[in-house]
Amino acid sequence: MELWRQIFIHGMDMFNLLIVSYFFIGNGVYTLLMVLSLATVWLYNRRLSYQDLDEIRESPVTPPVTIVIPAWNEERIILETTTSTLQTDYPELEVVVVDDGSTDGTLTRLIDHFHLVKMDLIYRPHIFTRAVRGFYMNPETPNLLVVSKENGGKPDALNAGINVCRTPYFCTLDSDSILERDALLRLMRPVIHSPVNTVASGGIVRVMNGCQIRDGRVAQVALPKSSLERFQVVEYLRSFLFGRTGWDLLGGTLIVSGAFAIFHRETVMEAGGFAHDTVTEDMDLIVQLHHWAAKSKRRIRMSFTSDPVCWTECPATLKMLGKQRRRWQLGLCQTLWKHSEMLFNRKYGMVGTLSFPFHLYVEALGAVVEFLGYFMVPLAIIFGMVPAMLYLLFVLLSLAYGGLLSIGAVLLEELTYRRYPAYRDLARLLWYAFIENLGYRQLVLYYRFEGVVRFLTGSGRWEKVTHVGVTQ
Amino acid sequence: MDAMPFLIENVTKVVLALFVLALMGNFFLIGVVFLRRWRRQKYFSRVDALREQYGPIIAGVVSGRIAYPNGLDELRQISGPDRLFMLERLCLEKKPTPQEEPLLRRLCEDLGLVKIWQQRLMGQIDQSSLREALINPQGVLRRVKFLHFLIRSKSAENLGLIRHEPSWPLLVKALDDPNPDIQMVAVRALTAIHYPGSFLPLAEQLHKAVLESTPNLSVRVLKTALVSFPLQSARELRPSLRHPNPRIRFLATDVIREMVEREASGKADFRLDRKNFDDETAGVFLTDLPFDGNPDVRARAAPVIAYLADPRAASTLFTLLEDSAWFVRLHAVRSLARHRFLPTGDRISSALTDPNWRVREAAVRILRGFGRPGLDLLTAHFLATRDRYSREQVADEFQRAGLIPELLTRCAETGNGRDTAVLRNMAEMGKTSYMISVLEEREGNGKLRKSFLQHFGRYPDPQIHQWVERVAVKEPDFDVRSLAQEVLAATPQRGEG
Repeated sequence: MELWRQIFIHGMDMFNLLIVSYFFIGNGVYTLLMVLSLATVWLYNRRLSYQDLDEIRESPVTPPVTIVIPAWNEERIILETTTSTLQTDYPELEVVVVDDGSTDGTLTRLIDHFHLVKMDLIYRPHIFTRAVRGFYMNPETPNLLVVSKENGGKPDALNAGINVCRTPYFCTLDSDSILERDALLRLMRPVIHSPVNTVASGGIVRVMNGCQIRDGRVAQVALPKSSLERFQVVEYLRSFLFGRTGWDLLGGTLIVSGAFAIFHRETVMEAGGFAHDTVTEDMDLIVQLHHWAAKSKRRIRMSFTSDPVCWTECPATLKMLGKQRRRWQLGLCQTLWKHSEMLFNRKYGMVGTLSFPFHLYVEALGAVVEFLGYFMVPLAIIFGMVPAMLYLLFVLLSLAYGGLLSIGAVLLEELTYRRYPAYRDLARLLWYAFIENLGYRQLVLYYRFEGVVRFLTGSGRWEKVTHVGVTQ
Repeated sequence: MDAMPFLIENVTKVVLALFVLALMGNFFLIGVVFLRRWRRQKYFSRVDALREQYGPIIAGVVSGRIAYPNGLDELRQISGPDRLFMLERLCLEKKPTPQEEPLLRRLCEDLGLVKIWQQRLMGQIDQSSLREALINPQGVLRRVKFLHFLIRSKSAENLGLIRHEPSWPLLVKALDDPNPDIQMVAVRALTAIHYPGSFLPLAEQLHKAVLESTPNLSVRVLKTALVSFPLQSARELRPSLRHPNPRIRFLATDVIREMVEREASGKADFRLDRKNFDDETAGVFLTDLPFDGNPDVRARAAPVIAYLADPRAASTLFTLLEDSAWFVRLHAVRSLARHRFLPTGDRISSALTDPNWRVREAAVRILRGFGRPGLDLLTAHFLATRDRYSREQVADEFQRAGLIPELLTRCAETGNGRDTAVLRNMAEMGKTSYMISVLEEREGNGKLRKSFLQHFGRYPDPQIHQWVERVAVKEPDFDVRSLAQEVLAATPQRGEG
């Protein structure tokens, strides 16, 4: 009995140590990222004062770009997305919508609205995809091509888009997203200005819920009505403004949101295109590109820029939020597992030595540690292994520190882009940043934990997130 | 184990202290957010007020509606610690039109802005006091030396915006600044000013961008700058065209190509002759570059050769059409499109059967771009060739260009044998989706449908067969419906062999 007691005590001690290390490593790196991002974004914003977009718009050497929009059962928003994409301010632009075997009226709506006719065009499958059923074009709108194919998932649709794309760069855009008019020019700026071959360039994704949409554009920015969506606004700000900016500065970019990103077509093709074996094909591609660059000894760059904006709808219900977060967590685990040889591998530079281990320990396994912590630590208190006061203080510290990071993200927004002009919205953002760790964090943690469980049990599959629609 | 209570106590204290610190941090950041918002509002209120008061004066002065001395006196009245910053902001708020530029330049000079920008670009920045740093929008930048590059870059940008030609030597000097932002903005400003003397230093930067292992400037930025200069500057790139580094030769060729393309755009009879292109450079394009070891150079030389008035140009271009590298052939084919004065149609037709699909595609598109004569060549090739890939490519272009409705109409109206033959070929290739779409769209056009039924109704194409079945049942026009039923009756059913 005594032996079991000792094992239990040691086990609990180990777990408590794990929790403390998770807390300090996680928050330490987040703090570093926040400080770096505050400096970088502030500086970047200042630098924008002498970075004219006309240079890119008017230069004959600006490379043409194809925007690839994979769509599956998106009849509700596909017209707005396609229309706004066609209006994007860019010198040479093509738009390819890939209908991934939708069972609703996605394709029909596109055909009717843009007066498309079916054509039997040549399809060269440089990357293998499911069969293409047909191409739809309107000779009057030659820069729009709709590809109808058998359902094969988002990566398959993206690969079909790459196969028909003829430009050196392509931009992936989610079918439920709206680009700001000059977003593509801004996203291409680091590609054009960098002396190193930039193979991926990501922009910021902001929450569209609550905003007024007119003629396929965000006409008025405002916070959404429900708390669930407001929490996500804060979360997106934190994730994009300081998470991605910080990692970009450190050269450890591991995630570029496929909702809105530019890729160098040939490099992506050489790296094998979007893989089907993970549910977060965007992250997988980025890691794959790092892998490919190290293997082929190529010097490449991936950039994140905080001023090109893509507006997207975030889940408005708990059910949809759960689906989304489970998928993200599952994809993270799958990608990290798939490329596990990068862990602490100096060959991959900052990605292998810092970013990959951080994502594994804090972002992937952290969900398990934190989730179990909510049960194990009270257990330790009951058994008298940890003083209740210490536990309480530790919880308070973690809440206060989480709040600090979220408020830091709001400060970053205020220092730079100030997209929420109303004082009331600013106060609300701060309030939601302050209380984000009371309830919402635990809810998301639960979904993330479920995602890890799904990974461990091998029940990984794509969960479709449907939206309720934005204000027109 | 005895030391445990002591440790826990200490840990508790540390955690408590951290908690208090984090909480205070929360409130501090919230305070900063609101302070920042308040300061920004105050700043924008001042900008708005100044804009309202002085905006019309500036607009009037630069457009000549307000007498220059009067306007200048009014603007000199702007005061305050941020006077220069506000003046700069108000003057350069809108990009000036070419007509406004001279007066705006003069205004900036007379207000003392140009001198300050020049000094700042050269690194002469007056350091601000701590108080000023907190009040003035540019105070922090002036106080922290590390941030001076922001002010210097902005100054270079401003000089470029007003195209201040006398500043070009300073901007050229800035090209060698260790800060990449200053270098980049200097390149852009020089591009805007277009002073001939700055072309060569920019070309030198291009060499550096290629030869240095970690260059500051991107090749694209430098190319954008160089191609914006007049075509006459191309001669300055002659040493680059003969440079031992193949990438430099390629970039120089490409810059000249872009210059030539820009000059030629919209001019149908544009040619490169002694008036706009010197003999020696033309000679390099005719004798050296088509035989360069770097295929990229050969490829990019082709479009320039196409515009050369020299009689050797055509034969040189035809040589490039036979090049072993597909992208050289691709560029050569594309170049033929520009060389309208040559009897190039047959040459392009020969590229329709090129082993590389991109070359085939380019050839098809170019012929299509030639209008009716090109279309006739394409049609003739489409009907005559047995090359499957070439036929696929032509059929692809016929669809993309939206020619199917026209072919169907002509087939129905005139019974033109060639149009019918084209459609027949396409039907045999299974390219019938577009035809069916047109027939279904034109519900009322019985003649078109009748003609199609007569010519293609019996084709063993599943889409055609389904359409005939639909027409046989649903067509409101009795004649067309009867014909469809006849066709169906005469068509062997599936499984009948």
